[in-house]
This record gives sequence, C-alpha cells and structure tokens, in this order.
Amino acid sequence: MEVIRGEMHACLQNQSYKTRPLSTSSITFTSSTTAPPTSVSATEVSHFNALASSWWDPHGPSRLLHLMNPLRHTFISRCLASQPSPSPTEQLRYLDIGCGGGIFAESAARRYNTSSVTAIDPTPEVLKVAEAHKRRDPLLMQTGKLDYRNCSIEDLPLPQTDDEKFDIITLFEVLEHVNNPSAFLHAIFPHLKPGGWIVLSTIARTWVSWATTIVAAEQVLGIVPRGTHDWRKYVDEGEMREFFERMGGWGEGRCMGVVYVPGVGWREVKGSEGVGNYFFGVRKGREGV
Amino acid sequence: MQPRVLLGTWRSSLRVVGRRRTYATAAKAALPELYDVVCVGGGPAGLSILTGLRASPITSRLKVALIEGQDLARQPPPSSSLTDFSNRCSSLTPASVKYLEEIGAWHHIKTERVQPYQEMQVWDGVTDSRIEFDWAKASSSIIPQQQRTHTSGDIAYMTENTNITTALMARLKELGGVDTYSPVRVSSIELGQDTPTLDLSSWPVLSLSDGRSLAARLLIGADGANSPVRTFANIASHGWDYNRFGVVATLQLEGPGWGGSEHKIAYQRFLPTGPIALLPLPGNMASLVWSTTPDRAARLKSLAPNDFVAMVNAAFRLLTTDITYLHSMPSGHVDEVSWREQHTTVSEDKIPMRVANVQEGSIAAFPLKMRHADTYIGERIALVGDAAHTIHPLAGQGLNQGQADAAALVRTIETAVEGGMDIGNTLALEAYNSEQYAKNNALLGVVDKLHKLYSFETGPVVPLRSLGLKAVDGMGWVKDFLMRRAAGV
Repeated sequence: MEVIRGEMHACLQNQSYKTRPLSTSSITFTSSTTAPPTSVSATEVSHFNALASSWWDPHGPSRLLHLMNPLRHTFISRCLASQPSPSPTEQLRYLDIGCGGGIFAESAARRYNTSSVTAIDPTPEVLKVAEAHKRRDPLLMQTGKLDYRNCSIEDLPLPQTDDEKFDIITLFEVLEHVNNPSAFLHAIFPHLKPGGWIVLSTIARTWVSWATTIVAAEQVLGIVPRGTHDWRKYVDEGEMREFFERMGGWGEGRCMGVVYVPGVGWREVKGSEGVGNYFFGVRKGREGV
Repeated sequence: MQPRVLLGTWRSSLRVVGRRRTYATAAKAALPELYDVVCVGGGPAGLSILTGLRASPITSRLKVALIEGQDLARQPPPSSSLTDFSNRCSSLTPASVKYLEEIGAWHHIKTERVQPYQEMQVWDGVTDSRIEFDWAKASSSIIPQQQRTHTSGDIAYMTENTNITTALMARLKELGGVDTYSPVRVSSIELGQDTPTLDLSSWPVLSLSDGRSLAARLLIGADGANSPVRTFANIASHGWDYNRFGVVATLQLEGPGWGGSEHKIAYQRFLPTGPIALLPLPGNMASLVWSTTPDRAARLKSLAPNDFVAMVNAAFRLLTTDITYLHSMPSGHVDEVSWREQHTTVSEDKIPMRVANVQEGSIAAFPLKMRHADTYIGERIALVGDAAHTIHPLAGQGLNQGQADAAALVRTIETAVEGGMDIGNTLALEAYNSEQYAKNNALLGVVDKLHKLYSFETGPVVPLRSLGLKAVDGMGWVKDFLMRRAAGV
C-alpha cells in the first residue's frame, strides 16, 4: 500500500487537508449543492506548478502515472464494450478534467476512435508543459484534436445542445484533490451526453492507510502532528457506487482495482478496489438525469 | 549469418550527425514528410516488421515507409531448379515459422525449397564425444504442450534467405500501404527543427539520395551490423572479432542422407579452429558453414572444386592433425584425402553422407564477429536484427533473432497504439528492449562460450570438455538450452 500511495501521491504530502468533503457519517453527495465557487484548492495549484517541469520525464516523479496510463484505456474500452448501443467504435468526444501535463489527454487524442479531447486544469504551469509537449506530435496539432484550457469545471461554458456535450468525461487521480467532490461531480454532469460515461480513478480509504499514516505516524511515533492527515479524504468504491445509485438515472457502476508491483508495473487485481487504487466508470442514462 | 551488404554503399556517402540539436543548420527547409514509422533496411528483419505492422488491424493505420539502398524490385527470387540453391541459407526455428505464418507471409514461401530436419549430430573433433539431439524423444519434455503442432518432430527448417525476403515482399505487396524508397540511400540523419507551429526537435529527419526528406516518429534501424541508425542514435555496440571466417557453399551429396528424405539430419563437428556444419536442403543438396582461420578460409576458396569437396569430406572424417596438414597443401587434396581415409576408421552413419559436388560459384567467406549494442532503444529509435546484435553462426540463430526482434517490436508498437502512446517514446519502447535484450544476450554468451570451449586442441580443458560433454549429454542444461533455442521455444 505504501508503495502505491507513497509514490503515486508523493505529491500530496504537503497538502493541507482543511476541507472534509466526505465524512463516513455523512456522505452527502446528493444534497451538497451549496458548493464553493470553485472546486480547486489553491495549495494544490501551487504544488503542481512545482512539479510541472518533470511531468514528461519517463523516469521522473510522474513515471507511475505514465505506467498507469494504458490501464485507463483498458478500463474505458471495457466500459464502452459493456454498453449495448451505440457501437463503441464511433468517434468519441472526451473531456479530461485535471489533465495535468496531458499524459491521458494526449493518449486519448491519439486513439483512432477519438474525435476530440478537451482537457482542463487550473494549474497554469502544468498546462504550459502540456501545450509545449503537444507541439512535439503533429497528430495532436491537427485543429480541434486536443484543446487545453486553463480553467476549472465551473468556468467551462455550459453546453447548449447534446452535440456540444461529451461522450466520456475523465477524472484521473483528481477526486482526492478537490475541495468538495459532491459539488464537483454535480458541476460535471451537465457536460455529459445522455448515454455518456464518467470514468475516474482514485484511492480507497482503508485500514492499511489508516494504520500507517494515522496510528503509526501520528499516534504512536508522533513524527507527524496529530490531525495532519485526514485519511477520510479518500473515497471508497462502494461510496461512489452508492452516490450514483441514490441519484438515479445512472447505469450500474463498473470498477477495476489495480496494484503497482515494483519491477512489474501496474496490474489489475480483482478485489483490490477494496484496498487501494481503483477505476470507476458509470454511464449516464439515455434519458438524461 | 552473413554480413549485410545491402547497405554497404552507404558508408562512403553517409553523413551521420550525432544526437544534438541542429536548429541553425539548413535554413528554413520545407517541412519533411511525416511518418509514424520509417524502417531503414529491407532485409528479413525490416521486412518482417513492416509486414507485421501492416497485417495487424491495430497498427495498420500507421503511416510507414521503407528505405532500402538496393533495388528491391530487382532482388533475385529463389531459383526454379531444385539442384540450385543460394549459399545464403538460414535454419528457421519453429517460432520464426509461426510468426511468418501469423503475419501471412509463410504461404508465399516456396515450400519445395524448405527442408525440415529432425535430428542433429554434434560432436567434438578432438575427443569424438557426442551430444545426440534426439528430437522426437526430447521434444515432449522441451516443447510446452500448447505449443506442440504437427511439426513438433521438426527441429528447424533450412531455407534460402532470398526465399524468406521474397515471400515477405510478396506479402507486403498484397497488404500495400508501405511507401517504399528503393533504391534510395540515406544521405544524412539529423534531428528536426523546433518551429512555432511544430516541435520536431526530438524527431529524426532523414535526407534521402533522391532529395526527399522524411521525419520519423519512430525510426527503426534494420540496417545491418554497421547500422547508420545506431550510429545516429549514439548507441555503442561492443564485442570482438573471432579472427575466423565463415566459409559457405552449396553442396550436393551422394544421396538424400542416412535417414532418407523423410528424416533429415544436421551435422556439426567442433574442430579446434571452429565448427564445421552441414545442413540439409531438399533432395541431395546441403548447405555448408565452415568456421576457420582467415588463411585457411582463403586457401579453401582458391581450391579446385574437387579438392574443395575432398577437404569438406576430410573435415568430417579425419583427425585434426590430418586436417591441419591438408590445409597446408595448395592442391592434390583428392588423392591425399583418399589415402588418409584408408587409415582412419569412422562410423559412416554417424557423419554426413559424402559430398559429391560443390555448386559452381557458391563458395564464399565472411568474417565472424560478436557484437551487442548497449541498448535496442533510444528516443524515437529501435534497433533490430544485425543492427542490434551479431552472433557467431554456430547455432544458426542470427536470422531467427532478427525475426524474434521483429515480432516483439510489433507487439510493443501494438500495445503502445492501443494505449494511445507516442510509439517513438522510450516509455513505449521499453517493453521491446526488456523482452529481447536479456534473451539475446544469453544466447550470444552461450554461443560465444561454446566457440571458445572448443577452440583448444590440447591442454587441460580437452579431457575436461570431453568428460563435460558426456555429462551434459546425459542430463544437461546446455543441451536443453541449445535445443530450446534451436526450436525457438
């Protein structure tokens, strides 16, 4: 677990957990419509600015994200294959939220069944990196193929018609960085086509992380001040599922647990969504929500 | 097995520019033509990669180009006569054949010019101890159940390299979609430019002798042992020369072999100067690969055909002291060998049938080397075949390694395309390097050690090796290893 979390989320060590978007006692996704004006945390923005220059270094701090990226496509392909209609080969429009340096956004834009990718991130420095890296690939420079925007989801103009909406909206390693996931998700829904998919990845909140970061580090060893970590910030797969079920108008959530094995890479491990990193995908009903 | 000569004409004119940024060079040239894959070299490995990429539904959308210095349209096809074979032959492993089948090239092969063999006889020229490779007995334990086919009695398949390349080209023509530049030389390779609209500073840009300029998302070096692509990528290649030459020839035997035409046998005798191997071709024909010292190779090439034939027969039968003496003779080998054979006892059925004739003009020699590149990949670079590794021919693995490289690289590119990766990114190419490098390195090492082990004529290692061979023959991992590699499993 520490390998997974420690390396994947080394970037989160300086984060201050001032907000408590989800507590175990009140997973009030559906009711929290009184969102702050933006889902973006200022500390996150400055943190990712610092990381920007090494984003595309295959041996840099983002290596684990690079290695995980193909699994994102595997999972999306499975989600699409599970739907009865339309045929999943049609040209898809993606919205990638929290795109960072563009690891996923670029790869989505390169796939043959992608018509366009809109990728947004509130951190200006990483978007500069993304824009610069995009220029290295003529395919991505084709007009309308990959469009980066330095904004939050709340700033993205609301679509007027279904054609302006997206087939797939992705949030990879994002949910644990936002101030209020419930409000955040609600801000996303208007951008999704009926029959489209929300696909995300995040980390489960487990006794393993609780034991290592809370009990060991804070309560026994005292090397970390009490209350520094709020492991409840992570969202369990069951909670995601329940959130969408309660809302109604959504298909059954699909999920895939993955584990990083040093020297081997990321591997799908059935049942591991209960302990660590997992993907979650859910399809919006054809009638809309 | 043999040095690539196809691109030999490059050396005089090739200007290889190191991997550094060259913004300030050529003034605002027109944008080069952009390709996903540019393969330099139209030998068996390069053709196999392009065929694999075109045949796969996952990679068939890639825009690909082939650059070959020789005129591919004028490559001589295999002869139509079954008593006329090229001296450039390879022993294709079942794994290579399987891959050629998968990419749809095998049905273009002239199968009447392919000779499967079912047995190998390998022995030490000094002590006469033998490793007997009884394939039918061993294959059940060596080949995994799911890989066994109707061909599992076959160790490998001898055929001419031109049969393979002709088949691959026929399959490529059938598939279409490869921009072929042939005969066209690469005049220079340098990195592209960073302009306000496009940053090609990580893309290799090739200037061709016909004035064109191509930019490659992925540049594949299938351009032989002196690979200009490897030089451009600044990838070092290490190894040594064996101070040996491989003498090749196409021979006609007195018959189809001791097992008849349905049970063909390959023979290899380790002489102190290097191994001599006789590999079966269809009918009474056979292919010779004789590794020996440069001066002996030169002498052999100068012999009259009947004296050459006598020398080959001698090399499989006589004592090493006799062979050394015969090598010193300028002519008259027929009589000398015949006299010496009367005083040497051999069990004829354990050595190849007598050679009757050598095909005119088929005797050639090439220097033997061992080379291994430090890595097979770089940013937007992949090396395959002889550009990545050159192996001693004693295990007949050179061309097969190239085919295995091709299969692995195509798989790697497929995975990258499916994951939306930039196929030129080292992150995407890592899988190819890790899949092939260690495997090839192990094979290069074992073959190199075998060569050295059998190079001693006297001294403490000789009885030890004889003892060792017997032990190995009884139980051993070397034998298993060699058989596995011969079969490519």
